[in-house]
Amino acid sequence: MQQHRYWLGAGLLALAGAGHAAAPSNEELQKQIVALKKAVEALQQQLDQNAQASKAAPAVPAATAVAASDAAGTPATREDLQGVQADLENFKYQVQRDRDTATATSSRALNVGGTIQARAAYSSQATSTSSSTPAGVVNNRNSSFDVPTAILAFTGNLYKDYDEGRNLGYRLSAGASQQTASNNSFLNLLDAYLTYSVLPTIDPATSRLDIAFGQQLLPFGLEVPATEDLKPVILNAQFTTRLGLAQRQIGLIARGDFDPVVDYGYNYRAPLLTYAFGVVNGNGPNTSDNNSAKDWVGRLAFTVPSDYNSWWRQLTVGGSFYRGKANLFVPGTGTLVGTGDRVRYGVDVTYNHEPFGVTYEYIQGRDDTASGTTQANTRVSSIKSDSHTATFFYNFGEQFVKGFRAQGRYDDWWPKSYQPFFRYDRFDPNTDKPSDESTVYTAGLNVFFAQTTKFQLNINHTDDKAKNQSYSDFLAQFQFGF
Amino acid sequence: MQRRHFLLSTLVLALSLTLPAVSRADDRPAVIRIGVASVGTGNRPVFGGSSVALANVKGVLEDEFKADGIKVEWNFFKGAGPAVNEALANKLIDFAWQGDLPALIGKAGGLRTRLLIADGTRGTAYLAVPSDSTAKTLEDLKGRKVALFKGTNAQLVVAKVLDARGGLSERDFKSINMDSATTQAAIATKDIDAGWFGPEVYGLVDRGIARVVYTTKGQAPNLARQTHFLVTEDFEKKYPQITQRVVTALVKQAAWASDDKNREQVLQQWSKSGVPYNAWKQDYDGTPLRVRLSPLFDDYFVQHYKDALALSKKFKLVRGDVDIDAWLEPKYQRQALRDLKLEGYWPDNDARGVPKK
Repeated sequence: MQQHRYWLGAGLLALAGAGHAAAPSNEELQKQIVALKKAVEALQQQLDQNAQASKAAPAVPAATAVAASDAAGTPATREDLQGVQADLENFKYQVQRDRDTATATSSRALNVGGTIQARAAYSSQATSTSSSTPAGVVNNRNSSFDVPTAILAFTGNLYKDYDEGRNLGYRLSAGASQQTASNNSFLNLLDAYLTYSVLPTIDPATSRLDIAFGQQLLPFGLEVPATEDLKPVILNAQFTTRLGLAQRQIGLIARGDFDPVVDYGYNYRAPLLTYAFGVVNGNGPNTSDNNSAKDWVGRLAFTVPSDYNSWWRQLTVGGSFYRGKANLFVPGTGTLVGTGDRVRYGVDVTYNHEPFGVTYEYIQGRDDTASGTTQANTRVSSIKSDSHTATFFYNFGEQFVKGFRAQGRYDDWWPKSYQPFFRYDRFDPNTDKPSDESTVYTAGLNVFFAQTTKFQLNINHTDDKAKNQSYSDFLAQFQFGF
Repeated sequence: MQRRHFLLSTLVLALSLTLPAVSRADDRPAVIRIGVASVGTGNRPVFGGSSVALANVKGVLEDEFKADGIKVEWNFFKGAGPAVNEALANKLIDFAWQGDLPALIGKAGGLRTRLLIADGTRGTAYLAVPSDSTAKTLEDLKGRKVALFKGTNAQLVVAKVLDARGGLSERDFKSINMDSATTQAAIATKDIDAGWFGPEVYGLVDRGIARVVYTTKGQAPNLARQTHFLVTEDFEKKYPQITQRVVTALVKQAAWASDDKNREQVLQQWSKSGVPYNAWKQDYDGTPLRVRLSPLFDDYFVQHYKDALALSKKFKLVRGDVDIDAWLEPKYQRQALRDLKLEGYWPDNDARGVPKK
């Protein structure tokens, strides 16, 4: 089409040019007619060629056809260039305008995210609690709607090392969470820490070492360091809260790995050893230490070296410890009698071999407690506790296959996945005392139906021997993030 | 009583999950799942440089299986060949378009696949630097940051190129694993000193962003990137007729694309991937499409894979062993050539890549 216009234009120009000249002679007119004839013939020839080409070839979209003629060498017109120029100017204006009026900016790289849970719960065991305020009284409740978790998080880098990836980063999050010490409805500071990569992070085949300073989760076992958005089960394992491990702590923790196996054929990296070691206050989040003794935490995990397509893939055995001091008081008073040991040991095994996985955690705790009625007659003794937690899950769908979910698609595609699981969770608060353990059996289903959203259904059966109670809970919740 | 409630609920939950799985069983596939070790610019689900790419854009396979009610599902992996291997290992795809090295790694590691046709032979590799770089040769980049998409067929070509130049290796450079899109961005921002590319490099060169300091174009045929189309053994055994129809449709498409009178259309279709027309044009300049789009397992193809295995083992990119002859399954392409009367249509090359007389 462009070429037709070109030839027609050329012919008309020739005619117009001739019209301005003095009256042409017959000979000149004859020449012009011959030139016009040639132009018409050329046009006809081109039309024929185009018709033949379109018959021989399958239909090509209009946009491609234009590109083809451009590629054949048709020059762009002034109008074409003006059109492109106008588009560019419009674009520049729009970008500047949006930046000035409708763009959130920050002084450094910033990623804003969040996790929210909206839950419906029913329990076969009615709950009743008394309170000094009317709002705090719970009267024979079996069901409730809740928003147990709402977290707003900011992450980013403070210094980016382009050469070796020894980056300085940060994370700040606030919210209401099961992992906070408080159960009020205010936003509490959750994570607030600075991270620095001591070793280069450019090459996946090299070992890593990161240091985090500030308020953070503890690197202890499997469930404790998992953030809210990663936990498969709605309720935390009992030991995490009853042994105080779920609380974020303030301190300095180094995390790293050693001798990674990198299977480039699957883009898979599995370090032989992962480790963590740190020192923290031990007094929980958002508060200063309550004694001079610092608490120590550490973890060492061994992963069987293997290629991705091996049955040994992601078989990990780990061990963790936490040793600290807690203030001891005369029972029922605020009278300080000194400090006592607070010790936790853990062993865990993970076999996460898509599409199924098994995890097991054994935790042992020892807490010094004071007994007596006065500072003088106080006696300190140790209470030992232990916990067994085992989870089995099976995945239907591709949610957990990293390479598969990273696809090029036009729409907002995400692989739908279904993850049924079963968890056994037993906690014995005092191993020397018989029949005081609590066991929770959980059967559940996670449905992943959008990139950051999942629906969770949990059925818990609790057998609490200490309270001599046995009851079931039905929990359904949406967890969504942004 | 409470425990009974719990057990009953758990049973209902388990049944609700298993019932849909039972009803999925059938004597023919409800869906044919294809994995592609490539993705278009901006993550668009379009790619270029192969007959399979044209079949995708034109809906050739969708048309073939429409009457049977069999759906065709395309998966374009940003993670390229390694992501295809991951999908194969997790039994998430039935067919795949993939490069030689990742397929060899997968096969050597136990993936049960069969190669069906060649699709994209003698591919070129380019080493490019930011346009204002002082580097003039490959050797000038020693000790500097060079991006390479590891685990893809580019890694093997690069290993061969480096080895041929005085026994160099990746260790002589500060080698960084980057996918194609990231490498393009990193060259533009000069976060890297150089990067290995395919035809997409011309998009950067034409815009004045990058300059090519080395290319395998015009070099020995063994310095080539090679791609193919494969099937899983499970699918092939279970659905041999479906496999045949897929191969026949692709061979037919390869025949159309190999005809140089369709060259412009082929390159235009590939440019929908976001790699500009001019990039494909320059990359394919001087080579008949019939050479690069031949689906044949000729001596050149077979030897290339045998050499690739030997070199991959030498460079420690592959640990296990692969019986190349047993890996290739040529019966489907032979049948397709007979059915489509295309025997002798493509040049039958000897092991050196020269057409047999």
